[in-house]
Amino acid sequence: MTNARIVFLLFTLLIMVSSSAYAMNGRDVFEKVHELRARMLDQKTEATMVLHDRGGGKRTRTLTEYGKNASPEAYKALLIFNSPADLKGVGFLVHARTFAEKNLWAYFPEYKRVRRIPTSAQDDSFFGSDFSYDDFSGPPSLDDYSFKILREETVDDKPCYIVEVTPKIPRKYTRYIAWVTKNLWVTARIEYYREKELYRSGTFRNIRLIDGIPTPFNLEMENHKTKHKTVLTIDQITYRTRFPNEMFTQRSLERGAK
Amino acid sequence: MRCLHKGLWSEAQSSWIILYLKFLRFVNFIRLTYRGDIMKRALIVAFLLVVFSSVCFAEDLLSVSGRMNLRGVLPLHNNETATEYPSLLGRLKVDTTPPKWRFHMWLEGGWDGSADLNAEGHSVLKGWSEVYQSTPLFLEFKELYGSYSNNFLELRAGIQRFAWGRLDEYPINDLLNPWDYTQFLRKSLEDRKIGVPSISARLNKRDWNMELVWVPLLVPYRLPLFTERWSVFPEIATLAEKYDAEIIHQNGDLPSRNMENSSVGLRIQSSDTVDWGVTLFHGYDLRPVFKTTESVISLISGQVVVNPGAEPDFHKMSSIGIDAAFVKGDWSWRAEAAYAIGRYYNTRYELWGYPSTPSLGTYKLNSNEHQSDTVAYGIGVDYRLFEDCLLTMQAQQTLINDRPDTLYDRQFETIIWVNLKNFFMNQKIETNLNLAYNPEHGDTMTKVNAWYVFTDAWKVGITATGFDGPSQSLFGRYSKNDQVEIDVIFSW
Repeated sequence: MTNARIVFLLFTLLIMVSSSAYAMNGRDVFEKVHELRARMLDQKTEATMVLHDRGGGKRTRTLTEYGKNASPEAYKALLIFNSPADLKGVGFLVHARTFAEKNLWAYFPEYKRVRRIPTSAQDDSFFGSDFSYDDFSGPPSLDDYSFKILREETVDDKPCYIVEVTPKIPRKYTRYIAWVTKNLWVTARIEYYREKELYRSGTFRNIRLIDGIPTPFNLEMENHKTKHKTVLTIDQITYRTRFPNEMFTQRSLERGAK
Repeated sequence: MRCLHKGLWSEAQSSWIILYLKFLRFVNFIRLTYRGDIMKRALIVAFLLVVFSSVCFAEDLLSVSGRMNLRGVLPLHNNETATEYPSLLGRLKVDTTPPKWRFHMWLEGGWDGSADLNAEGHSVLKGWSEVYQSTPLFLEFKELYGSYSNNFLELRAGIQRFAWGRLDEYPINDLLNPWDYTQFLRKSLEDRKIGVPSISARLNKRDWNMELVWVPLLVPYRLPLFTERWSVFPEIATLAEKYDAEIIHQNGDLPSRNMENSSVGLRIQSSDTVDWGVTLFHGYDLRPVFKTTESVISLISGQVVVNPGAEPDFHKMSSIGIDAAFVKGDWSWRAEAAYAIGRYYNTRYELWGYPSTPSLGTYKLNSNEHQSDTVAYGIGVDYRLFEDCLLTMQAQQTLINDRPDTLYDRQFETIIWVNLKNFFMNQKIETNLNLAYNPEHGDTMTKVNAWYVFTDAWKVGITATGFDGPSQSLFGRYSKNDQVEIDVIFSW
């Protein structure tokens, strides 16, 4: 056996070992995450959002989110702010034909008008918080991303896959790193990068099983550029709500889902 | 299950009975306190409304919100316009929480520093019969209605405001509510709309809906007094000041309030990849138009009294309009157009027949109205320059068919409007740069403002506004009203 053959065999062996080191690949992990998020779509959530600025100031918003899983891919979501007085009645409506194709509307009671929002705004700040519109818009299309498992780690006593997610389509963030809990398939932590720079990061804690669906009740998102932080606490959540389609119309958006 | 149902029902019933009894006690209290002058009564009513709403709020039957706005104005041409005092304005919104049968109230009131302190004879509660109604202390129901709704139908009756069409600030198909011109361009579109008594029915079916509105009686637009800072006839105000004259405000004759003189609107809209709407309207045109009679300048008890002989006039019109909104790439577009039949326009002031040198006497004025069909159209777009920075641009034009040379309005009248909104520090700071330009007359309006949000309840804003252009033009007529304004808002 020549040296060249030995090197070739060792190299092939190395590739085989490295590819079978994890039982799943990154796409498999995210298909599980995706499956869970799709199960979460039929829901009603009451939540409190606290915005913490770097000087220690706090602003509090309460909101209600309604969701409906319409077909394998299509879904609808409606979000209404209940407080503070300035934001009361402000709403956000999503109609997704597929996970990749969405129509977004926002309603501002002050102007009594519904405005369409381009999907290119989906990575922008959601009403001053550190969450983005995308964080409230249902699961993304997996075909628009590539996935790679980087390593495994334990976070809050939960074993996690650490997956690098790279968008294939132009997005504000060029790379995400997600800590996905094994077996539960909930994201426990996520970091958003622009090139090599860490832009914002989220931590999702207090995972409880509601109707068989693991649900984080404490979601924290921090912007590392502005040192601003938003904590979203779920006060109440109900799954399998099966709301009628009429709940997700512009009229319903204008009426605050009433 | 039946027991539970019965239990819930009696719980709901008892809550309503408690609410009803409280309401009766409240009405009785008002009756007992219905003494004293009208200002006191209005204050008592407003105070009791707040207390009553707050009590019910505690019982979780009502949702109550409100705000107080303290405003101070620094006029930049101090001696050239009437004085404007600081204002303290309150807003109270009350909604019942049961979803099917709903009651909604939006009450505004307080001390309006722009009103003439010496104005007499006007009601504290803003009414529907007068064009000129001014009082520093006022109350106004912007909205007050009851509604019934299910998934397919919504019926509403009461004082309502509608928002039809797509464009900002000067929407073409938004024809149901008259405007309050008392501080015209200082206010936003929704702030200047006057609620009208109306009955509306809206049918909803998935992504389309149809709304029919009936306004049984004409509610006229509201104009500031000639002696107020935001008077739409600054020339008359100057004249009155020069000769120390008293000016008579003529409200004009409102059409008789019968079925024939009611207004009706129908709107059908659908939303999908493109949102579109069709609007039909037949009723009174709510833009200010004046008819001339005769001007009288007289001397009564040593005081010069001027009757300008120009009074608000009201005409019917019909309009058919279309509008659409869609997203293309990063741009959110909207557009609307309307063909209006039988709109009235005024000729230029100098053709109305006023004497060049006013002296005591009676002057027969010239006819000053012209009727034309018009086509109006406009397009607007939102574009996010970067995160939390939104650029809105809008251009709209009105074409007057068969325009005679006597009109001040040109055959094409254009308004170009741009707004740059920017948020900083997670929306703790909001800034706006707003420019409006009418190229036909070369008049402009520039507004710059900044808001700082201290807490969820408190915010402070500063706004600088400047106007420029000829005295009869849309923006130019306020060219002496350049100002800096400071607002402190507390909301709950």
